[in-house]
Amino acid sequence: MVSKADWEIAPIHIDPDTTEKLFFTDHQWDTIEAAAARIMPTDRDPGAREARVIVFIDRYLSGIDYLYAAADGSGFLQLADKDAHAARARNANMQRLYRDGIHELDKKARELRAPSFKEASEQIQDEVLEQISGAPKPVPVSLTSMEVYYSRLQGNTDEGKSFFDTLCLHVRQGFYGDPVYGGNKDQMGWKTVGFVGPKNLKDTMDGTYSTAEFFVQEYDWEDLVPGLKHSQDHTSKQEQGGQ
Amino acid sequence: MKRKMDPVDIIIVGLGAGGGPAAKVLSEAGYKVVGFDKGPWLRPEEHYSGDELKFQNRSYLWPDVNLMPRTVRSDANSEARIFNFSPVPSNVGGGTSHMAGWMPRPRVSDFIFHSLHGDLEGASLADWPYRYEHLEPYLTKVEWSYGISGLTGADKGEGFRSKAYPSAPLPPTSFGKKFYEGSNKLGINSFPLPMSHLTEGNALGRPAVNRTSFWNQYGDPTQTRSSVATTYIPEALATGNFEVRADSFVREVKVGKDGKATGVIYIDPDGVEIEQDARVVILALGAIESARLMLLSSSNKFPDGLANDSGLVGKNATFHEYIFAVGLFDRDMEDPLHGWTGNYQSGGSTHFYETDESRGHIGGGIIATTQIGQAINAIMPGRPTWGQAMKDADRDYFDYSMKIGFILQDMPQETNRVDLDPNVKDAWGMPVARITNKPHANDIAMSRWQIDKNQEILQAAGAKKTIPVYLGDEFTGNACHQQGTVRMGTDPATSVLNEWGQAHSVENLFVLDGAGFPTALGVNPTLTIMAHSWRCADYIANTYMKGRSERLTLSPIKKS
Repeated sequence: MVSKADWEIAPIHIDPDTTEKLFFTDHQWDTIEAAAARIMPTDRDPGAREARVIVFIDRYLSGIDYLYAAADGSGFLQLADKDAHAARARNANMQRLYRDGIHELDKKARELRAPSFKEASEQIQDEVLEQISGAPKPVPVSLTSMEVYYSRLQGNTDEGKSFFDTLCLHVRQGFYGDPVYGGNKDQMGWKTVGFVGPKNLKDTMDGTYSTAEFFVQEYDWEDLVPGLKHSQDHTSKQEQGGQ
Repeated sequence: MKRKMDPVDIIIVGLGAGGGPAAKVLSEAGYKVVGFDKGPWLRPEEHYSGDELKFQNRSYLWPDVNLMPRTVRSDANSEARIFNFSPVPSNVGGGTSHMAGWMPRPRVSDFIFHSLHGDLEGASLADWPYRYEHLEPYLTKVEWSYGISGLTGADKGEGFRSKAYPSAPLPPTSFGKKFYEGSNKLGINSFPLPMSHLTEGNALGRPAVNRTSFWNQYGDPTQTRSSVATTYIPEALATGNFEVRADSFVREVKVGKDGKATGVIYIDPDGVEIEQDARVVILALGAIESARLMLLSSSNKFPDGLANDSGLVGKNATFHEYIFAVGLFDRDMEDPLHGWTGNYQSGGSTHFYETDESRGHIGGGIIATTQIGQAINAIMPGRPTWGQAMKDADRDYFDYSMKIGFILQDMPQETNRVDLDPNVKDAWGMPVARITNKPHANDIAMSRWQIDKNQEILQAAGAKKTIPVYLGDEFTGNACHQQGTVRMGTDPATSVLNEWGQAHSVENLFVLDGAGFPTALGVNPTLTIMAHSWRCADYIANTYMKGRSERLTLSPIKKS
């Protein structure tokens, strides 16, 4: 078998401006692009449309060739054997989820007398998304309301989610993920929220990319940890006593 | 017919925090050692980088739940469901390849939890068969060889320490500074938690260049983070006495007529079943998988699983739970908090560690302010899921929120356990671990009290809104900590292992991960696992392999 440690790197690069479709039909592409634009809308900052979230999702759904970028961004890892088998099975489920989901978007749009989801007004599109999410469109964060939550697993895979939740997650991934995956064009997503990310993945491997400037530059542990000096003196006395 | 390899002195199954120190100590002592890991042997400098999607969302390091599933249920009467419970990376290095790396020392009180508290209804509290002072020299050895940074003397409740830390901590982050401000207002002793990474100018002379902030759950392509795969494994290999067999799944520990372990049967990368004999077998797969392998290894002598004559293998499992409170700050009033920066933790406290019964629970744990993460997965409970409200929330709070987490010390219960799932099998065709667990009332009370306290600290630091995330009806295993399951103790009727991690009923079987821990500890377990493994490996090398045995005598606890 080929160990995960030895997966080949296919020298594939994704052009975020491409219109070549690897998974979606033209209609599916336009439908998901329209839905993504309602999930991460364009305002004074770019949204899903400008960041090419659609390219990101299309590549991801096309198979398992775009699952993991090589660590240095020089291409994509080619999974082998049982890992590839498991990934292909998941991909087949994901493709089905999207095909059915797009069908549902159109069906609901037609029920609201639009010709299709992609041709519906933004207001109708929002209504459709409300229906498939089963909840009203989210309202702004309130600083005065009280909510309580319970713990969940860290990490956030897209397995076992509904079409709507999957789409929302993929839009975030395409907007905020490393540009190597086809979305977050020109780091638009990162710039929108103030994340100062690396120029490329390779820069994260050798110290080239650094966030050191964002740490507190002037500090004194004795101010932050009152009583520190006293207890350090105490410790060193103990050490001397032990010699 | 099975292939058979030439016998060796010692087999180690699992090359993470437990297996790594044992590999180093035993191969340096001159024994021929073979180490198995069912996962790959990744090369950090080639395989790791700051790719959020790959490490946080697409489980590059975490076990593939379709290949290595676990199942979980809340009690013996409910149906188990497949769930990626306690997902520790399955590769050479194990959990040390992805962990943020909190490395606080355990406390004196951790080892005498039953003596201090007596019986707790519904729980199976116990003392450890050794004490803090027995582990202290090994804690120091690990700190100085593995590489831990910390601020010596800052933790006012720490037990005796024989040596200062070999590396200074990282500078505080912006949100770390807020945490200190909030803590100091409330009179809470806070300090940079000891971490398994180094900073520049460390006494080990190791380069420490990674300041990318791609940290928790990411692999580190440099040697800034201390990982077993970049420290103890290479050191063991340098002796010429150690061999790594990666991508090799050990499916059974063999037992001879005399009841001693004779070796293991494993499936090699090409699917071939091979036997490997040895004089000693060490299990260090993590508490869930070590218990599972023992239960898979039934024999005439041990029909219910290896060394399971007490019936206790798998029971008294503890998992901790990572819970937290998030604070949102006003961007018009404050400087950015840069919650995405730092090596996860940027200030913590053990102020609430020791029991204070006025709180309504016994025990306690460690708190720390931690990164909210990068942009895709930035932690914000209740964030609007789509539309303008989501985009506004991201823009307003990505740089203006912080969280204070808590490692919840769950009480051991016999009913919280690992056994073999009767229905679900893994990619090698073997029954998977089924986890049965339900929080104890003390766990729920501790969760409420501490997370509410964390909210107070956030408020003192200036948060406009705080959001609590408590422990729910079940553990999720989200701390990726595993303890108990193969309990240590002095009495073979109430424990499986003795004070050397050695099975009471199989003298050449040792379990050297967190499985032996009778109680969960209030700190992250990795430093304790490593020091424990080193201590027990010392015993194997210098006493057991020399044909001798030794028992530890414990002085009575002086109750104050």
